[in-house]
Amino acid sequence: MRAFVQLSLNELRLLARDPGSLFFMVAFPLMLLVLNSGNERLEIFLPSYMAMILAIGGIAALPGIVATYRERKVLRRLAVTPISPVMLLGAQVAAQLVMGLVGSLVVIVAGMAVFGVAAPAHPLPLVLAFTLSALMTCAIGFVIAAVAPRARTADLLGLTVMFPMIFLAGAAIPREGLPGTLRSVGDYLPLTQAVTAMREGWFGTPAALPLLLLTGIIIVCTAIAAFTFRWE
Amino acid sequence: MTAITVRDLRKAYGGVVAVDGVSFEVARGETFGVIGRNGAGKTTTVECLAGLRKQDAGSIRVLGIDPARRRELARKVGVQLQDSALPDRIKVGEALRLFASFYSRPADPKKIMGTWGLEKLKNRAFSDLSGGQRQRLLLALALVGDPELVVLDELTTALDPVARRETWDLVRGLKAAGTTIVLVSHFMDEAEELCDRVAVFRDGRIAAVGSPAELMAEAGTASLEGVL
Repeated sequence: MRAFVQLSLNELRLLARDPGSLFFMVAFPLMLLVLNSGNERLEIFLPSYMAMILAIGGIAALPGIVATYRERKVLRRLAVTPISPVMLLGAQVAAQLVMGLVGSLVVIVAGMAVFGVAAPAHPLPLVLAFTLSALMTCAIGFVIAAVAPRARTADLLGLTVMFPMIFLAGAAIPREGLPGTLRSVGDYLPLTQAVTAMREGWFGTPAALPLLLLTGIIIVCTAIAAFTFRWE
Repeated sequence: MTAITVRDLRKAYGGVVAVDGVSFEVARGETFGVIGRNGAGKTTTVECLAGLRKQDAGSIRVLGIDPARRRELARKVGVQLQDSALPDRIKVGEALRLFASFYSRPADPKKIMGTWGLEKLKNRAFSDLSGGQRQRLLLALALVGDPELVVLDELTTALDPVARRETWDLVRGLKAAGTTIVLVSHFMDEAEELCDRVAVFRDGRIAAVGSPAELMAEAGTASLEGVL
């Protein structure tokens, strides 16, 4: 347990030292919020940005980090210590969760304190939705890390999956403004369930379906990653 | 007392035989050299010892433990791997404290930093270290769990002559403290300087085992270079 806490703290420190992660998970969402602050229904944007932050971390950043650890034999080095390299992957999830929480709190506090967005109507379902969304984006990230042959391909694949997804799932911009065909693509994207679940937690009526779908995606992606992941 | 027993070790990759019937023993407190050219089977043997690979046949016991029980082995055995690395942005002090947290009775990271001359570098990121500094850190990480036995693979390959001599002195210090050492090298002078006994690997087999002096006498040469 002590080793896991230390590993997680270490991964979090490394994330916080990465200017890219810091900008895209903390500064960039805040910037978007300010740019959209003239919007009448700003409460739509907060849960969406939370999903976007998690997707940037779990889907775009995590695969490159994990694939680099494999390529540079960091995983192999850990294999000759008393802890399991699996623990390092768990620490990645913990670090992404905390980093996602920090980024989210920044937009939430700004949205509520500066722009007068109402507090979430259903805090507990929102927390559950956030946690499941974080696990889901990380699970997708591990699949990408597993199938990518090299660290650079993992980075590229992560960005290629994350970018269309945050737009089509309504995380970066509301889906309501998308043309019909593009909007229907979003129905099939995992991140759409994250956006839906967190919106319902903030201002709607929390339903079980999005949470169940998120859980299903987590299970399927984790199984795929576990079967295809290469340690070296 | 025996620290390592290897019996009839065999390992092939696809159709290519890397290690073909290797047997040897290492006594506690001994510094045992594994030498030979590239592709002679040294690294495969050491990877089997460290539990990183499963042998096709033969048995291995390290401090009485089957290396297949990797976690248990790792509590007592420190390994410095060839060309392993750490994340770019991790700092020297952080890496040592992190690795210390993996063990139930670790050495004091501060003390290790002092011994290995890493004190001044403790706030330096891994990516900003020179080759020699990295090597020293990786070696220190192999020792932070206070192991009974250490495996050092190509310890001084990346080092300049001065850094090599300094590293040798540190290994002598380890030896004096009673640590059993397996030293993989293709530098004969290193084996001559540090090892009590040496196994010369050739084409996946052990061609000769003995003290450096015995091997040189047998081969009628004045250096271990001639033995190879």
